[in-house]
Amino acid sequence: MNQLGNTFQNGKKLAASPAPDDMPVVVFHNFSTLLGRPVRYENESRPFATLYDVGGSTATAYPLSVSLEIAPRRGRQHLILPWSAVQSLTDREIVVRNNAEEAPAPDFWARRDVLDDQVVDVSGAQVLRVNDIHLLYSENKLIFGHVEVGLRGILRRLRFERLFAFLAQWLFDYTLKDTFVTWRHIQVLSPGGIPGGVRVSKISQEQLADIHPAELADILEELGVKDRQVLFNSLSVETAADTLEEINPEFQRTLVSQGEPGRVADILEEMPPDEAADVLRDLGPDAQGLINQMDHESAAEVQTLLAHKEESAGGVLDTNCIEALTTETAASIIDRLRTLPDDVKVYNLVYVVNEKRELKGVISLRGLFRAAPEATLGTIMDEVLVHVSPQTRLKEVARELAKFGFQAIPVVDDNGVFMGIVRYDSALSQLADFLKD
Amino acid sequence: MTRWKNFKAHLALFAMVVGPGIITANVDNDAGGIATYSVAGATFGYSLLWVLAPTCFLLVLVQEMCSRMGVVTGKGLSALIRERFGLGVSFYLMIALFFTNLGNVIADFAGLAASAEIFGLHRMWAVPIGSFLLWHMVIKGSYRTIERVFFVACVFYVAYLISGFLAHPDWKTAAYQSVVPTNPWTGASFYMIVGIVGTTIAPWMQFYQQASVVEKGIPLKHYRYSKWDTIAGAIVVTIVCYFIVLACAATLHKEGIMIETAGDAAKALKPAAGNYCAGLFAFGLMSASLFGAAILPISTATSICEAMGWERGVNRKFTEAPQYYSLYTVVLFAGAVVALVTSNKMLVPIMLFSQVVNGVLLPVIIFFMLRITSDKSIMGEYANSRLFNIVAWSGAFITAAISIIMVVMTLLQ
Repeated sequence: MNQLGNTFQNGKKLAASPAPDDMPVVVFHNFSTLLGRPVRYENESRPFATLYDVGGSTATAYPLSVSLEIAPRRGRQHLILPWSAVQSLTDREIVVRNNAEEAPAPDFWARRDVLDDQVVDVSGAQVLRVNDIHLLYSENKLIFGHVEVGLRGILRRLRFERLFAFLAQWLFDYTLKDTFVTWRHIQVLSPGGIPGGVRVSKISQEQLADIHPAELADILEELGVKDRQVLFNSLSVETAADTLEEINPEFQRTLVSQGEPGRVADILEEMPPDEAADVLRDLGPDAQGLINQMDHESAAEVQTLLAHKEESAGGVLDTNCIEALTTETAASIIDRLRTLPDDVKVYNLVYVVNEKRELKGVISLRGLFRAAPEATLGTIMDEVLVHVSPQTRLKEVARELAKFGFQAIPVVDDNGVFMGIVRYDSALSQLADFLKD
Repeated sequence: MTRWKNFKAHLALFAMVVGPGIITANVDNDAGGIATYSVAGATFGYSLLWVLAPTCFLLVLVQEMCSRMGVVTGKGLSALIRERFGLGVSFYLMIALFFTNLGNVIADFAGLAASAEIFGLHRMWAVPIGSFLLWHMVIKGSYRTIERVFFVACVFYVAYLISGFLAHPDWKTAAYQSVVPTNPWTGASFYMIVGIVGTTIAPWMQFYQQASVVEKGIPLKHYRYSKWDTIAGAIVVTIVCYFIVLACAATLHKEGIMIETAGDAAKALKPAAGNYCAGLFAFGLMSASLFGAAILPISTATSICEAMGWERGVNRKFTEAPQYYSLYTVVLFAGAVVALVTSNKMLVPIMLFSQVVNGVLLPVIIFFMLRITSDKSIMGEYANSRLFNIVAWSGAFITAAISIIMVVMTLLQ
């Protein structure tokens, strides 16, 4: 949260000394005190309406207001005016001129979508409820500056601010501070009545990608159903995949089943196959449709995993591991490691197979570097003694992993053919029981 | 065969969403509720049994809206009220909720003390131990384990069913008067009816049920199972209070014994219906009190933090959610302390105050709920239909009228 030192009061000019003529005057307004302010035509002395809402455009980092919603004194129908109709905005009133222009559709309405609603602070990676909004008025432009999220905003809205500030000062010598977040870091979510929902700006998209996926998952879990979907849809496929892994299974199910299928399939491709299979397993009948939209390779991997019980080695199989032939040399393998893709999580063990893909042995990175470069793997590998079959129950797998202290355990089918490995983290939930002893 | 499979699939989905409705309904039968039903049975015999079915209907009507809002929006009731009606309204609503919930917690600890004394455990032991256990469970446990504990606790209500049977009620009269109103239309009986409806539909229930639906993350297409959960809960709660009324009507009313609290009822049942019946009744009261005292402080803290935008949740650490834990701790221990230091006589004005706040709060909350559930921009295609609205507004009107009458009558007394 950005704690700017300066505290300012409503309607006060920013500059302490009188501003020179060529310098624009900036006035701060609290949105809560702007609401209900009388609105009058320039050529009439009596107000005909009160301010109800202000609409902003997210085209700039600090949104500009583009339209006003006003509640007329007579009649129930609210009017929408373009900002260009506004002639001046002061502490006391808003003066507008008759304007034939069509009011542009804003990206958000401050009262309906922001005030009292939840927004995401993308720099602090947290969900906040907005108590007030700070606006800057300068050169007849109204700019959204901060959202106020602290106690002071609550007190101001309840009209206890002065009393409280006085008591706090008098009793505890404590000055009430503003707690606010700059609008640059704010992502508005509630799409309200805007078709298609709020666009997530490019800045916040980049900032969202910088948040740790586990934290993003926390944010998503805290939001309402619609807001959660809006934010999730705005994430890049890579970020969405990392986040989906971390999110709690119940919300996973809703996000996947209510997302656009093509995009969800892309996200699932991006995830490690065993995680993707976990998501799909919970989905029931809808899963097949998504698998059909995934690319061939990922779909096949996920299908194999789904064919096995979740609680068995086959159900958490990781096929992204380093596999080499007994006849290859240490140097050629080290060469291959240089271009290893990121999704290979177990990279310090090489599984050695013969030409029939039967598992023969395993060699560690250290073993590879110590060996003579031209030595073939068959001569330097350790022979594999421990392996499991795809039907082996996860509990059993966990026991083996714990006993030998392995990072992963190879899985071999009935004919001795190497299928892949089970990483220790896939068996983690079961492993915990054995680590206590 | 396929039918059976279908049934099993439905059952599996139901098992996934079940909980919020049944748990809420069962906490509803807390110490205050049991007291009201016992007094109704002891004073008016079987003649008020007919009130229970319409009350059950009203309960389903109100609670269904909550679970629907929870599933559709994924937000708690206090968050929705804040977003739709602003900070000012929410703030004062939360203050009222705080006090009425605190009153309920006090009643629960008083119930715990009374039931413990029937088993020979002094209240100076029972209340501090009980409150510390509850506090520890929430601070150190996780929501899932708590939910499981609560679910098991629901089973203890069977104690009331058994004690109802052990009291040997006159089934024929009971069945007849369950359908046909035969009670005298005096001020006292009307006050009792109002009391039954008032304790069965309490404001905290709407906040609690919606919050637990949200916490469970029930997907929209499984909503109908959530509806069954609500209906099942309301039916279970009605059956339990039916048997409480039965037990007291068959024994206390027959012998002309007047009682004021649930503890009185358990004590009075001993000579009239035997040790087993009284023991089971007291045991039911104890588990109900503990159950209520566990859930109400959590619900209070969650609702208030949600409305004010403070961090919340039993899965967070104290430093992450200081307001949440402070509220929880204050409500729990203040309730325990007040129940310990005040005598039964002094409890009466506190209970009356809590009932008045309850009665004022409920119509307001139901009004907000109806406004929100009718709003298409919030609820989409799950907004109330015209027919539902007609039924719901009249139901809400009856509930509101009853609550207001209750307030007026309480103040006049």
